[in-house]
Amino acid sequence: MASLGYYLLLAAFVVCAYAAAISVGGARRRSRALIESGIGAFYLVTAIMAAASAVIVYAFVTGDYSIKYVQRYSDSTQPLFYKLTSYWGGLDGSIMFWVALLSVFGAVAVYVNRERHRELIPYVVAVISVVEMFFLFLMIVHNNPFSTYLTQNPTDGAGLNPLLQNFYMVIHPPTMYSGFVGLTIPYAFGMAALITGHLDDSWLRAVRRWTMIAWLFLSIGLGLGMIWAYEELGWGGYWMWDPVENAGLLPWFTATAFLHSVMVQERRGMLRVWNVSLVIMTFFLTLFGTFMTRSGIVQSVHSFGQDPVLTQLFTTFMVVMLIFSFGFVIYRMPLLQARNELDSWLSREAAFMYNNWILLFSAFFVLFATMFPTLSEAITGQRITVAAPFFNQWMVPIGLIMLLLTGIGPLLAWRRSTIENLRTSFLVPTICGIALGGTVVALGIPIWSSGLCFAFAGFVVGTIGQEFWRGARVRQQTSGTDMFTALVGLVGRNKRRYGGYLVHVGIVLMFLGFAGSGLKKHETLLMKPGQVVQVGGYGIRHDRIRVTDDGRKQMVTAEITVLRDGAELTKMYPARWFFRKHEDQPTTEVAIRRTLAEDLYIVMPQFEAGQQSANIEITVTPFVNWLWLGFGVLALGTLIAVLPETTFAFAAARVPDAVKAATASMILLAIVTPAAVQAQDGGVVSKSPQQRQLEQKLICMCGSSGCVHSTLENCPMRPVCHGHTAQTGEIQSLLNDGKNLDQALAAFVEKYGEAVLAVPRNTGFNALAWVLPYGLGALGLIAIVLTARRWSSHPAAAVAGGGETQIDPALDARLDDELRNLD
Amino acid sequence: MSSETSTESQFSGDFPPQRSDSLQPWQLFTLAGLIGATITVFLSRGQSPAAVILLSLTVFAAAAVGIAALRMVMPLTSKARPDSTQVLGGRTRAVLERDKALVLRSIKELEFDRAMGKVSEKDFTEMSGRLRARASRLMRQLDAGAGYREQIEREIEKRLGKAPVVEVAGLCSSCGTKNDADARFCKGCGKAMETRS
Repeated sequence: MASLGYYLLLAAFVVCAYAAAISVGGARRRSRALIESGIGAFYLVTAIMAAASAVIVYAFVTGDYSIKYVQRYSDSTQPLFYKLTSYWGGLDGSIMFWVALLSVFGAVAVYVNRERHRELIPYVVAVISVVEMFFLFLMIVHNNPFSTYLTQNPTDGAGLNPLLQNFYMVIHPPTMYSGFVGLTIPYAFGMAALITGHLDDSWLRAVRRWTMIAWLFLSIGLGLGMIWAYEELGWGGYWMWDPVENAGLLPWFTATAFLHSVMVQERRGMLRVWNVSLVIMTFFLTLFGTFMTRSGIVQSVHSFGQDPVLTQLFTTFMVVMLIFSFGFVIYRMPLLQARNELDSWLSREAAFMYNNWILLFSAFFVLFATMFPTLSEAITGQRITVAAPFFNQWMVPIGLIMLLLTGIGPLLAWRRSTIENLRTSFLVPTICGIALGGTVVALGIPIWSSGLCFAFAGFVVGTIGQEFWRGARVRQQTSGTDMFTALVGLVGRNKRRYGGYLVHVGIVLMFLGFAGSGLKKHETLLMKPGQVVQVGGYGIRHDRIRVTDDGRKQMVTAEITVLRDGAELTKMYPARWFFRKHEDQPTTEVAIRRTLAEDLYIVMPQFEAGQQSANIEITVTPFVNWLWLGFGVLALGTLIAVLPETTFAFAAARVPDAVKAATASMILLAIVTPAAVQAQDGGVVSKSPQQRQLEQKLICMCGSSGCVHSTLENCPMRPVCHGHTAQTGEIQSLLNDGKNLDQALAAFVEKYGEAVLAVPRNTGFNALAWVLPYGLGALGLIAIVLTARRWSSHPAAAVAGGGETQIDPALDARLDDELRNLD
Repeated sequence: MSSETSTESQFSGDFPPQRSDSLQPWQLFTLAGLIGATITVFLSRGQSPAAVILLSLTVFAAAAVGIAALRMVMPLTSKARPDSTQVLGGRTRAVLERDKALVLRSIKELEFDRAMGKVSEKDFTEMSGRLRARASRLMRQLDAGAGYREQIEREIEKRLGKAPVVEVAGLCSSCGTKNDADARFCKGCGKAMETRS
């Protein structure tokens, strides 16, 4: 079986090479037969990859442990579901899965577009084939998933990492990969357009929907990853700015930028070079993301280069790809020149430019901060850490600006907005924003940053509501129907616009979720059986600890009763599971009580089975569920936008109202349930604020793969992590010695080096971490200003030229007629 | 083997392969896949259901490989190579059409924006005037160039030159009904057709 799989991969490689060569040859010699054969070969790759996938999954199901990959990522006791999904559980298999998915996406894209964009297809086939060839080459020479043990076949497997044995973690990689792979399609079409020189907007029309679908997959993938982190890692949060997560976020930013700026090209024919470049950048970042995720940089920044062959191969491919792509952009520059004119700074076009600037800046900041430790180590030889606190310092204001722009953009008109229409369109949203922000601040939520976030969210919702309302009213007047039908018609006629607004609503909900995490209350307590603690509105009683075993794992469960006003509300069971063969990596089973207003999140990191006492961590996070809800709304909005033009979106038209109503009720709900955690003492050991502050500022230094990048407070390995215990002990002794915060930090740096700090200090080379983002942001802004100035000098000439033409009345009537038909 | 001959016969005409109504190679491989899967199921009795299903899927994938391989080889083996069928010229016209659609949509959008109160009346008149002028200029340009149909006909004439009447072969001389090229009697009036050598 193993050799069959390997031969299939070899065959796929050969067929890919054939497809690429014959397509280019066919296109150059204008031979239909060769091109058709290339397309056939392209389909053949898909079939071969399907067969190879079936082979490896079969090996997993039958437990063929002579194959190393199977042995490493599964064992005989694993449930069938996890056996099937172990396919993408490790490096080699996931590369193969990548190729399989790409071949499927590519085949569908080619099949759908083969008639409509006939001149592009051969090059699309060639570009995708070359990308597939690279990954197949990787597998053949370096990461063969079918490699076998030469002697002594093991009788059982090592088993999948228990952390990955979670439903969300199973569907997260395929969604993520679908997003990554889907973004290859726009790149292939963009390159085909560049190569053939057919650079009108037809390639954009071919890829628009693909980009949206890929973007949707990427968003959902990110969301699933967050849910997984929230439910499985047990530190009460969902986003740690880990390189793996960032890898998915980077192309998301650029793809979002592309989806926005593509509208400018469609409407105004501007920004052509920019859009092609965005597509190339997005594809590059997906490659880079895959590379970061798969080369060992994931586990730890320190192990970067652990797999030098893979690193070299990837780097070579990425460099070649960049040179090739941008080389063509430069070569085709004369064809890409467009009539760029910017009438005003306060126009939709300009808003899109600001939007692109902020998104690109986010992407580069995240990329830079993720790579900075590696960079620093390469240049100064000194290890430092860039962890969540550093990212948060930057991304919170950036996120807020982005949110504000989400609200402002739709209010501006194309070409030009006057003071008068600014006043009428900004009035309602501003009132909404101030009202919501004011209410929230009055309720005691700090202005920075949660209060501001609420105000902006109110502004955006006001904007979107107003857009729907005004649009529906205009339509009602022109078509003479009732409000509801008008709304349906409005969304149905312009799905992309109103679907997009719905996506904005989803983004707002997510931001409210983020704002909630700023209001998070966190308590760590040592509890004995029968003890009751009042936390916020909840009474938490620790009943007992139970130890059970189901053959695959030993489960230690704490039984906790949640009380409200003395009455029993519910029972919660935080646990730790010790999987066989992975006893040193127990999983944290979190107990969560979800409500729309807040989540009660209980973890038991440590226990003393003999005394029945347990360390209990209680986190109350407001609005977390809005985040997941936001992803749902986002998906719905994207689906509406993706629907074919002919689909009548009557079903979807009701959603905005429902969402708004739901949002309103949730806001009310949240406001009446303020989330405050008051820990009362009563034999309960709780941490001092100083200690907590230090734990937020220091990185867990144990060096195990699980805790890299996490602050002591968030370390997912806490209870078993020796580094963590030692460091918290040191903090305590330092504080007991009467040291203040700075002295304690200095002591840590002296002992562990700069890397112990979550936020690099602003000195020497590290100052670059602070200077560069500012510099880049400013540079981007200057670039925008310069381009905009150049473009805004055009319109005078255009007006003069256009004004002279006398309009023929017959022609004018025909124009009116065509305009009516357009509706 | 039989599939190959069948493709050749269907490919000898001027039609591209996918237009054919015969689906034999496709059916052959599906059948082979089904038979293979049945045999596999019989051979692998005693294994877990999941394993049997996966084996069958592998067999189907193999059948798909066969179909795709055929699809790859087919265009190359055909005798009649329909060469140089790609679109040439006419791009400027497409660009004009596209530009026109763009301008029309902009006008529409502008009207919608005005209705929503986003554009002042003065701006609207100015911008709308400019857009309409541009639209009518484009329309005039489009009118000046001949329609697609004439253009295509001209193109055909230019290419085929001396033998412009290929289709006449199937026309009945007495009633003018269009018949198949190899028809011996007219399906309209029943008279014998003139045979062309």
